[in-house]
Amino acid sequence: MAKEERLLAAEMAEAPRPVRFYVENERAILGTIAVLVFLVFWEGLTRGWWYDLLGPILGARAERLKINPIFLSSPTAIAQAGYRLFAKGEIWNDLWVSGTEFFVGFILSVVVGVPLGLAAGWYRRFYYAVDPFLSALNATPRVALLPLLIIWVGIGIWSKILIVFLGAFFPICINALAGVRTTDARLLKVARSFGSSEGQIFRTIILPSSIPFLLTGLRLGVGRAMVGIVVGELYAATAGVGFMITVAGATFQTDKVFVGVMIIAIAGVLMTEALTRLERRFDTWRPKVGAAT
Amino acid sequence: MANHVVEGEALLAAEVAEASALKKLYLQHEHLLIASTAVLAFFLTWESMTRFALVNPLFISSPTLVARAGYRLFAEGEIWKDLRVSGTEFIIGYLMAAGVAIPLGLAVGWYKRLYYILGPFIDALNAVPRVALLPIIIIWAGIGIWSKIVVVFLGAVIPMLINTFSGVKTTEERFLRVARSFGASEFKIFWTIVFPGTVPFIFTGLKYASGRALLGVVVGELYAATAGIGFLITVAGATFQTDKVFVGILIITFTGILMVELLNRVEHLFDEWRPKVGSAE
Repeated sequence: MAKEERLLAAEMAEAPRPVRFYVENERAILGTIAVLVFLVFWEGLTRGWWYDLLGPILGARAERLKINPIFLSSPTAIAQAGYRLFAKGEIWNDLWVSGTEFFVGFILSVVVGVPLGLAAGWYRRFYYAVDPFLSALNATPRVALLPLLIIWVGIGIWSKILIVFLGAFFPICINALAGVRTTDARLLKVARSFGSSEGQIFRTIILPSSIPFLLTGLRLGVGRAMVGIVVGELYAATAGVGFMITVAGATFQTDKVFVGVMIIAIAGVLMTEALTRLERRFDTWRPKVGAAT
Repeated sequence: MANHVVEGEALLAAEVAEASALKKLYLQHEHLLIASTAVLAFFLTWESMTRFALVNPLFISSPTLVARAGYRLFAEGEIWKDLRVSGTEFIIGYLMAAGVAIPLGLAVGWYKRLYYILGPFIDALNAVPRVALLPIIIIWAGIGIWSKIVVVFLGAVIPMLINTFSGVKTTEERFLRVARSFGASEFKIFWTIVFPGTVPFIFTGLKYASGRALLGVVVGELYAATAGIGFLITVAGATFQTDKVFVGILIITFTGILMVELLNRVEHLFDEWRPKVGSAE
């Protein structure tokens, strides 16, 4: 990499200004162009631009280049639909419902998952007892439990809270467990040699060194929780962003579907990004396994 | 972690040497014994809850009812069709994803400009929970087998792509430098250095992708289908046949465990090929 950069630098010193600008910003320029081309192509498909353009050359085969907006929608239609949804305020109720489901479910999974994971990491016999359940459920896509959850708690907000809980619980719990188990053995040995109590060891050594793992678990949990919300609401709901997506899809309002998908993607990215930042801040707390003294 | 375990085991060994025969047996198989006791206790509690009419079997069924339903489903042969449909969806979608993602991942990792062009799209698709696209996919491909194949494909393609890509990116820098110094062609470098180093990453990608693919099958079939295990679960759930729901869930769980186990083994097999980043001579 370093060598390549030096070569680049040598090239650049001699290059004229526009070339230099391009080379310096190649990534951003190519990326932007690609996205723009994609958006224009998409817009053109539903507006029939390519049909008009290539019709004389290709004849009847160009028919394929004109696509009913029901199937694809288009960037401008999506932007309009998004604007309408927010301006008229229809979306706020859905956002509020999905948000509540997410936060209640997620907080529950933290409240249950972290202590359980820490305990399973600390008490060997407890780990033996819960291990089969954790492994089995972790390998199951939890959304398969949805029909069961609906029988138990109905199609209201609680079935979604439960599915979010189940989705986020496992990554959080398993990471907490891994955090305790990767504690630096030398620290433990020293602490024991100096006669510190188990409680003291747990509070001052185990807990701080498992913080980075807990944050990783939270980050993974966010992704699972988002899937839980969407699937739960697609499957059976009365409100929520996923519900909006389903209804819009069933009534062929493709633009609205895309708005919903984008809202979910953006929410996911924002939360993951926030947790990644937090994770990086605490990364120095991560025990260096097998590191020399 | 290694140290921690070894220390624990050493203590255990000391305990074992002094213990009586029975206790020795317990200590040697403690993990297995505690785990099976826990599982047994769970099943007994579950069974007794419906036996003693504490909970309506409609809600939680019971292990014996589930076993009976499973036996019936397999013996009467209703389930084979669902298994075949789900299996086909999974395999076709997964193979298509591998066929696209591995070459594309290698290319994106190797050609910088291709990465600049495709990067934004990969990132965007990675951010979207692919199952949210289901309603659109249904509009495109109907509620038949193809909508599920597309969901499986979309679910599996991203982890495969990203892992293959990062595999190419973590190629040992020194090898490349040596190869270039000795005048190896780019083609030769790719096939003898970059590709072998990428293989373990590809398998890691395949492992993650299997989970996503399974999720795709289940969600796709829950949402809209005409056959398949997910469909069986939905129909059984909607008609309050809780025992059948559990059979479906168990089938999916077993498949999940089996796949993870299998791919873990395969991944392990190629672990030595993984380049050791930043290692000394």
